[in-house]
Amino acid sequence: MLKDTFSFFDKFTFAVLLALTVSGIVLIYSASRTLDPAYFSRQLLWFFIVVIVFFFVYRIKTELIFDYSFPIYVGIVALLALQLITGVIIAGTKSWIKMGFFSIQVSEFIKIPMALYLAKTVTKITLIDWRLFFKLLAIVGIPFVLIALQPDLGTAFMLCSFLLMIAIFKKIRTVIIVFTLLTTAAGAFIGWNYVLKPYQKDRLISFINPGKYRKSSGYQIIQSKIAVGSGGLVGKGFLNGTQSQYKFLPTRHTDFIVAVLGEEFGFLGVSFLFVLFFILFYRQFNIKPQSDEEFYYAYFFNGFILFQFLVNILMSVGFFPIMGIPLPFVSYGGSSLLAFFIGEALIFRVKTNTFLND
Amino acid sequence: MYTEKQKLTSADVKRIAIVANIIIVILFSVLLFAFWNIQVLKNQHYTKLAAGNIRKEIIIKAPRGMILDRNHERLSENKISFNLFLIPDYTENLNRAIDAAARLTGMSKKEINDTLEKYKDFSRSYAIPLKKDLTLAKAIYIESRADELPGFEINIEPVRDYPYEGMASHILGYISELTPMELAKKVNDGYRLGDVIGKSGVERSYEEKLRGVDGARNVEKDNLGKIRVVLGEAQPTIGNTVVLTIDMELQKFIEEIFREYNGVVGVVDLKTGGILALVSTPNFNPEFFSGVMEKSQWEALVNDPASPLQNKFVQGLYLPGSVFKIVMTLAALQENVIQPSTTSLCSGVIDIYDRQFHCWNRGGHGTMDLYEALANSCNIYFYRLGKRMDIDDIARYAKLMGLGKPTGVDLPNEKTGMFPTRAWKLKTLKQKWFAGETVSVAIGGGMMQTTPAQVLSMICTVALRGLTPQLHLMKQIEKDGEVIEEFKPQFREIPIAKENFEILIEGLYRVVNDNGTGRAAQIDGLDICGKTGTQLILSLENPKYEQLVKQKRFMPHAWFASFAPRYNPEVAMVVFVENGGEAGAVAVPIAKKIYQKIFNRQ
Repeated sequence: MLKDTFSFFDKFTFAVLLALTVSGIVLIYSASRTLDPAYFSRQLLWFFIVVIVFFFVYRIKTELIFDYSFPIYVGIVALLALQLITGVIIAGTKSWIKMGFFSIQVSEFIKIPMALYLAKTVTKITLIDWRLFFKLLAIVGIPFVLIALQPDLGTAFMLCSFLLMIAIFKKIRTVIIVFTLLTTAAGAFIGWNYVLKPYQKDRLISFINPGKYRKSSGYQIIQSKIAVGSGGLVGKGFLNGTQSQYKFLPTRHTDFIVAVLGEEFGFLGVSFLFVLFFILFYRQFNIKPQSDEEFYYAYFFNGFILFQFLVNILMSVGFFPIMGIPLPFVSYGGSSLLAFFIGEALIFRVKTNTFLND
Repeated sequence: MYTEKQKLTSADVKRIAIVANIIIVILFSVLLFAFWNIQVLKNQHYTKLAAGNIRKEIIIKAPRGMILDRNHERLSENKISFNLFLIPDYTENLNRAIDAAARLTGMSKKEINDTLEKYKDFSRSYAIPLKKDLTLAKAIYIESRADELPGFEINIEPVRDYPYEGMASHILGYISELTPMELAKKVNDGYRLGDVIGKSGVERSYEEKLRGVDGARNVEKDNLGKIRVVLGEAQPTIGNTVVLTIDMELQKFIEEIFREYNGVVGVVDLKTGGILALVSTPNFNPEFFSGVMEKSQWEALVNDPASPLQNKFVQGLYLPGSVFKIVMTLAALQENVIQPSTTSLCSGVIDIYDRQFHCWNRGGHGTMDLYEALANSCNIYFYRLGKRMDIDDIARYAKLMGLGKPTGVDLPNEKTGMFPTRAWKLKTLKQKWFAGETVSVAIGGGMMQTTPAQVLSMICTVALRGLTPQLHLMKQIEKDGEVIEEFKPQFREIPIAKENFEILIEGLYRVVNDNGTGRAAQIDGLDICGKTGTQLILSLENPKYEQLVKQKRFMPHAWFASFAPRYNPEVAMVVFVENGGEAGAVAVPIAKKIYQKIFNRQ
């Protein structure tokens, strides 16, 4: 059995995943040199951990996973709620659970059971009616609110990609579409005027005219563009990124890792990364899954990665508001890396399942 | 509520895959294009911006112009100050940097944070000034440990130094940093946060001349803030030198003998109108202001009831007392109200308008003519004058003689003072003028207010027989040793007959030389002329007068306005001692000492 799962294992795509992660580690080494060298060593350590976990998860039968998707989902939602409550008691610590050397960001992990459970829910349904609409809204919405209150609007916002994909795949009653549009407009209005904090509002609009906000939220956008733009075709060379090295970008190891890439490895470096991602997305959209659930799950999760990838890239060149979102696999972040690898392990299993049961 | 369960066919799957592929191809093409645009097409643009990040312009502060006395003695000059700057962006850990800064400078962490707060809207790579005037040892210590102390920078700056320390402080004034309000007003003149500006005295009136032009140095810095390349430099221009009319030796002398008193001494060169010496006590040390002052020190200065920060010469408002009899005399002579020979009997008290007015000599002076009345400062004589003259006429002469209007001396914030008229009283107090009030005015009482500067101006006019010189402190302005501007002495003629001045001056001569109230100033061979004034705080009519006047705070102010010599006068002087007591006992002897000093030198 072991042999089976590994004979059909997609080694090529896995190599791509490794290449992405290793590229990330290399960039983090450069980025963190003048920040805190611990980032590099920690990411390296996480790398080994996630690969091991990857193979453990890969071995699990997918039916089992789907069966447990709801309990796991509930469990993580409970953890998020607990974090909020204890966060109220211990001020400031709402997103991380510290365990000695490591910190776990719980919100990163919700996407896995959410994708699974959504896939399960949506399978075999052609049309979404009111009842299903609200159910789906709740599945995404509850974690969304819990995470947004941490506050981490960026991570919460990513969860909306699931809703987007469902909308693409499934027919929805027109009424519901209209209703959604209206409430979104109303919600945006209320959120903008009454809920969002000024710095969050600034973040949202500063990408349109970063010069105006160049001393606050626009600063990062401008610096990122400068770093990327000044890289040219071949970049300034590894460890030679003046903007990145000169601390003009404080979050260059996370949100703005692309700035380091663009500055030190130029357009060629960026293209190389794009090629890796393209291969990943392509190979994961072109599958012949064994069951509908597996199909939806693979598409949902792959689409999620694509969505986050897009947002991060666009953010670093000023085409999207700053969201505080890392680049999947590449940016520093152990929890993110682990969550993505676990989700990937499931996709890999889905692909292998095609061959196992035929 | 109609839901249909339908399994996906492989055709469906294929279709979806094709759509997905199209989408990602489009997306990636767009992304590649965007990056091509930024990285290749706009590469030069961003490279320039990147360089801009590391290129810095360092301001080279210009030294301020010096202030010298008439003999080119340095009163206010510059010395080198080692200043500590902090650049938050180059520190690795801002809190540790603040701790280090506190240790090195002796400033509290709160002070440092307050300073950083002032610059919070500035770029993170702006050099924030933390402390000025470090010792050379500290400066070397910090410079040599640049690696351990990233973000710290030592710069050399010229700062103000006062060789004579607290002397002439009201003439020189002090400089300190511009307040946010001042900055807002002066931003178009090129002042920046952290710049200093003259706040009082000559430092302020001649701020434009004294202020230099800052230079600049364009450099490239690396990420530790170290300068790698100097791209260009513009040297600063030192400010102009202001040469004053002050004679520092005389000034020192007067400051020493006047030290124990509160008040004003002003000495003028009658040939030009230039002020030779000016003392206002109590005074302060301008160097106080060049560092960071403790809040308690500032409050002590501001709340001191003796007002050390006030330049009493132009800002102190007082009643002139009997010195005003000068104006009454001229007014009465010019209006032909009296002749010099006009006499009046002083019995110590007089009844006017059903009120009793006392002379300071309770026993009475007996019969006096004008000269004797001036020499002995008889109140009764002048009360009678006050009864015979109209307040508006008196006001006109007061103004002509310089009272109730600014002298225009080149010191900031000169007070105008005030002289009452009928119209003024009607407008301000909504009352008609009572004739009895003119009687008080006649001996320099009532509602008028003058400054010692105005009194000095008045006695100058008397000395010059009707020419008022423009009082001034600036003799000339120099640049690189060359005189670029000179003060041209100005005199204004006033329409009072010269004979009347000579009559007045005969009286003033007798004040000093004929056993008058100013006899303590008599010097053989020098015809000093002057008028004493004992400005009462309490009214003579007060029944408790004798008792209360023994307390210092109820003692009268003492005036003595004088000039010498009588013919072809060279020098005029005003001595004013707050709560000094009898003018003849306090102010006059001081004047004598000063005349001795001035004329013995010649």
